Order: sequence, then structure tokens, then C-alpha cells
Amino acid sequence: MDFLPIFFDVRSRPCLVVGGGEVAARKVDLLVRANAAITVVAPELGRSLARYRDAGRLTHHAREFRPEDIDGCTLVIAATDDGALNGEVSRRCRERAIPVNVVDAPELCSFIVPSIVDRSPVIVAVSSGGAAPVLSRLLRTRLETMLPAAYGRLATLAETFRDRVKRRFGTLAQRRRFWEEALQGPVAELVLTGRERAAKIAMEVALQQDTPGSLSVGEVYLVGAGPGDPDLLTFRALRLMQQADVVVYDRLVAPAILDFAHRGAERIYVGKASGEHSVPQEQINRLLVRLARDGKRVLRLKGGDPFIFGRGGEEADALADAGIAFQIVPGVTAASGCAAYAGIPLTHRDCAHSCVFIPGHLKDGGELNWRALAEPRQTLVVYMGLHALGSICERLIGAGLSAATPAALVQDGTLQSQRVLIGDLASLPAKAAEVTMRPPTLLIIGEVVRLHERFAWFEPAGSVQATALRTA
Amino acid sequence: MIRHPEFAPGSVWLAGAGPGDPALLTLAALHAIETADVIVHDALVSGEILALAPAATVRIAAGKRAGGTQTPQWAIHEQLIAHARKGSRVLRLKGGDPFVFGRGGEECLALAAAGVAFRVIPGISAGIGATSAALVPITHRGIARSVAFATGEAGAEGADVDFRALGRAADTLVLYMARKHIGRIAAALIDGGRPSADPVAFVLDATTPREQVVHTTLGAAAGVALDLPPAATLVVIGAVAALGAVLARSEPAAHAASKRAAPAARRVGAAR
Repeated sequence: MDFLPIFFDVRSRPCLVVGGGEVAARKVDLLVRANAAITVVAPELGRSLARYRDAGRLTHHAREFRPEDIDGCTLVIAATDDGALNGEVSRRCRERAIPVNVVDAPELCSFIVPSIVDRSPVIVAVSSGGAAPVLSRLLRTRLETMLPAAYGRLATLAETFRDRVKRRFGTLAQRRRFWEEALQGPVAELVLTGRERAAKIAMEVALQQDTPGSLSVGEVYLVGAGPGDPDLLTFRALRLMQQADVVVYDRLVAPAILDFAHRGAERIYVGKASGEHSVPQEQINRLLVRLARDGKRVLRLKGGDPFIFGRGGEEADALADAGIAFQIVPGVTAASGCAAYAGIPLTHRDCAHSCVFIPGHLKDGGELNWRALAEPRQTLVVYMGLHALGSICERLIGAGLSAATPAALVQDGTLQSQRVLIGDLASLPAKAAEVTMRPPTLLIIGEVVRLHERFAWFEPAGSVQATALRTA
Repeated sequence: MIRHPEFAPGSVWLAGAGPGDPALLTLAALHAIETADVIVHDALVSGEILALAPAATVRIAAGKRAGGTQTPQWAIHEQLIAHARKGSRVLRLKGGDPFVFGRGGEECLALAAAGVAFRVIPGISAGIGATSAALVPITHRGIARSVAFATGEAGAEGADVDFRALGRAADTLVLYMARKHIGRIAAALIDGGRPSADPVAFVLDATTPREQVVHTTLGAAAGVALDLPPAATLVVIGAVAALGAVLARSEPAAHAASKRAAPAARRVGAAR
């Protein structure tokens, strides 16, 4: 270990920064966050530092560095572009045992500044000791993804309960058990989803219980897995996947996404592929309730967004009936995913002022108002639109929409197997039959489809056919 | 871990930052935030999200702030193109989803015309994130089989929507920036045939710690809107809007912050 990692209290202590440019400004950012009393010595200040000066966050001496500037300093940072000056600052500080950092010159430093993940009051610091700054930055990125932004608020909440928990539970073992439950269970979830008041109430309730373990009740996360590309998972989804005991999923969840689930997690498939036996919704609802009652953390993973044709509402309703805690994690819905990856905006200034999503299974819940849907300045998105494609196009034409209205079928949207078929209301059904499009497919109807030609940036690995389809 | 696509110097990525909560960023969006040299962002992108970028990243606010100064769209295009031509990796970061009321289409057109390579990263549209947070299922068996998204802001993309027709096109309506004009919009919807007792939910500052949900009806919406605190607001109209309050019953503590306005939300449908 070349350096001793420590956290330094500089609150209201005199800290000197030599240099007035952007590099200095980045160091000042950190000192400001740590509430130091900052002095900057530099003939001129850059824009960022001038803002800090105007806001009264630092004292500026508009001149060259003088040896006496370091008198009484708690720490000093040299961030000028003058190597000789940086060296002088370093030497004078070392002579007087004042901690000094010279930006990008590890050999002149008596301390170095790590990459940090700031979840105040929780701070994670990463350093490669100057050996590989890019590596520490990459590591920092990974930590950013693992630590939810609200972690700091969780720590703050814990702090406010610390004394009471100490009084409530006599032994260290009991307290540790209590905190482990609180910081990983429902209380943490409430904080991490921004419901701090509720988290406080839950803590109060937990403190009334007899045993510290009483927080461990099952819960269900209804999570949208996005349209398919694992890169479109959200952080919350990823985090919950890694902590769930059971994952209940259906066929719209890509296998690459399922791989993110915690290795020890039980996986239950309740999928529905066309023509395949599927688990009825009632039975899925009962399964979720039963698993949660067993005390499990259950992740119900759905393609796209749980509330958009995902029947998440029914599952939430059943869980609420059974008194089981649940949370909804939205996902990127198929319409957004396909639109982005096929290069078709759903709204556009010149041609689409509203956007309507309808289900492709027309028998679902009765008749739609085709006259209102046949609006030329509107984008119509049909989920699972392949099966009834012919009938949908016919009805829209019948309701007055031009047969020449452009339409696109997107199969396997956002995946490497994505195919895009472009046509119009009159031609698309025959084209789709000709090239045998397969579900899952999203149908986009409207003038916005014309933009696809210019916007198609996504070229999946095996896209020869896709290109052919596009020009078909 | 995921292998992300390469963010090539000289290219522009248009990414959606989702509804507000940094945990609802996609992995791809965070990768872009970490890798970009320049981030051109909207006012809707939170400071919490921007803080995820390395300190050296240049951040340019190009937002449209209601009432404040706004960067003209052409100037945003010029900025994106200029930074890309200098060889920077340029991230255009927008609240919600770039292709749902995000003017992403216009920006793509400008980039395509300038010959700048681009990529589009979808995000969770504010309308979808907000409704989930409010426990409002946009579609729900037996209650809502379709949903329409529109914006209510005069002068915005999609300003001249015929709300009378839109009200008939879908069971659930999700309206962006519609708070100011909700009276006019509600009147048009009622005129078009929606009942004045149609449930309405105002979702304020969705997915942030300040989130608040206010339930009312179409007839009373204009009056209720006047009393709402300033916040990014989304309006959900239709039977599902009342369902949120119903679903919240299993976690009364979790939704202690939700505020209900008259009339009290009632149990809708739940045909079982």
C-alpha cells in the first residue's frame, strides 16, 4: 500500500489552491463540498472559479504565489500549468509538513485525491495510487451503478434512529440484526424509491416489535425489463434483480436480461408464447402472493413496462388485496425502444402531435373507436400488432385514414435480431406475409414512419435482411 | 457486466434520462453520461443525474424552462453539430424519452443533414414513469385498453391537438405540460363526450422525494390545478386515474404523502 486512505475533516479550515483554471476549479468543487475555507491564489480566475468567488465561497488573491501563502494552511493544492511553480509550492509545503497535492504529478504529492462516489454521508473513494487513473474511473462507474443515488438518504435516516435503536436493543448482536434487516429490506426500499416519510413510519413500527427480525416480510417487485436490449435495463431493475430470492418471468424477457438475476435466485417461468400453454393470470397472481407470504423477495419481471399492456395492474391489485407490500418499477416500453432503435420518433413537430397505444389483440376488452384513431396527425402504436395486422389496416382505411399512410412493423425491437418492415396501410399486410414476420412485433402507423429512412442508425449484427426489408 | 456500444468521437447520442429518479436511468444512458465529453442537457434533467458525469465533462444547459430563457431549437442543433465536428463525444440528454415529446426527431434531422453520426437511447417517458410511481396502471383489464399521450402547452410540439377527438381515441389520456391549460382541455374533452366525473390524477414531481398525487375529476380539475404547488406536473385522465389510490391501500405508509382531493377515489372495476 503506497498511500494510507483516510478521510480528512477540512470543514472551515484554511485550504489553499494555487491556480485559477478549470483544473483548479475541479479541486475547488471538492473543497466546496467538504465546506473548507478556500483561498485561491492566481492572477486570473476562470469562469467556474469566478462564480464561486462571486457567491462568496472562496477568497481570491489576484496575484502570483508567495511563500507566506501557505502559512497556517491545513492543506494545499497546486493546479497551475507552470511545472516550476507547482514544484516550488510542493517543496515549500513539504519543508513545513503541510499536506500538498500537485495535479497530475504524483511524485510532487504528499497526498492524492481519489475518485469518489458521493452518497453523502456515505463516500466511497477509489484510487490506483496514480498508476492507472482510467482504471479507477471505470471502477468508480461500476460503483455508481451499484450504489443507488438515495443511499446517502438511507444513511441519514439510519443516523436519526441510531440512539433509539441502541436503547431499544440491548445487545450488539440484536442491533446488528435489526440494522441488517432495515438496511436491506422494505425500509431501505422505501428510502431508495423516495418515500422517506413512509420509511420513517416503517422504522417506528419495527421499533415497536419484540424481535429485531420482524422486518423480514416478503414483498413483490413488479419490474419492467425494457424492450429487450439488456443495456436498456434501469439501475433499479438491476439492483432488485440482484437481491430477489425468486424471479417470476414471462417470454418477453430476453435471456440476456435474466442472466442479471442473483445466481442463487429461483427462476419461475410463467410465459406465454403463441400456441403454447401459458399460466393463467389468476394463477400468477396467487403464485406471487404465496411466494411473498413465504417471506420471499419476489421479482416479477415483465417485458417493457409493467403497466403498459403488461397486466401489472391486475397483479398489483391482487397483492394489495392480500396486503402484501409491492413496488412498481417502470421500464422502457416497447414503443419507446422500437421507436429509438428503428429511428421513428413517436411525436414530431410537423406530423405527429399525439400518440396512441392500442393492443393488437382486438378481442381484448371490446371495440376501439376507429374513427377517433384514424387521425392523420397522430402516431398509432399497436402492441403485438402482427396477428391482426390486416384487419387493423382495413379498419383504419375504412375509418377514413389514407391507405398511403406509412406504417412500420418492428420485429424483435432493440435486439440483434431486430427487423424493420416499411410499407403503408395498403401494402404492409401482404409484405409482412411475404417475408414471414414473427412476433413479438410492434406496429407503428403514421407520417413519422417516413423519417425511418434517414434515422435508421441501428444496424444489428445480421442486418443484411433488415436492410433488404427496409428497401422492400 | 454489459458490453456497451462504442461512443465514437465526433458522434452524438440522444438519450432519455427518464422521469427524474437517477435509479430509473438505463444502463446505456449512464454509460453515455460517464463517457461523453460534452453533455447538452434539458432543464428537466436533474442535478443528481448530471452529478454522475466526471468532473471534466463539459455541461451545457439548453433547456426550456417554463417562464425562463430558452435556447432556440436551431441553436441547440448548431451546438450539437459544432461539438461533434470538433471530435467530441456529444451526449444530448433529455428528460423522459427523446422520441416522445422530446423533439428528438428534429435534432436527428439536423444531425442527419449535417452528416453527423448519431444514436438514440430510449428512456422511460415521464408520462410512464410518473404513472407507475403514482400506482396508476395506464392500461388495465376491463378498465383501459388504450392510452393516448399528448402535450397541453401552447406553442409546444403538438400544441394544436384536437382534444375533443383525442378523448374518444383512447381510454386513458396522459398529458404533458397540461396543467396551465387544464381548464380549456377538460372543457374540450367533456365537449367531446368524456364524462365530467371522469377521474383525473395530477402527479407532481414524479419519482422524486417530493412526489405528490392529487386525485380529482375532469369537471373539478381546473379548480384543483389552481391550488397545486409549483412542480413538474403530469395529468392522467380516465378510470385508471382513480385506481392509483385504490392500489395504494396495501401500503398506507408508503403513500402517506399522497394527497386526495374531492371526490374521494373510489374502487373502480376490479371485475373479478
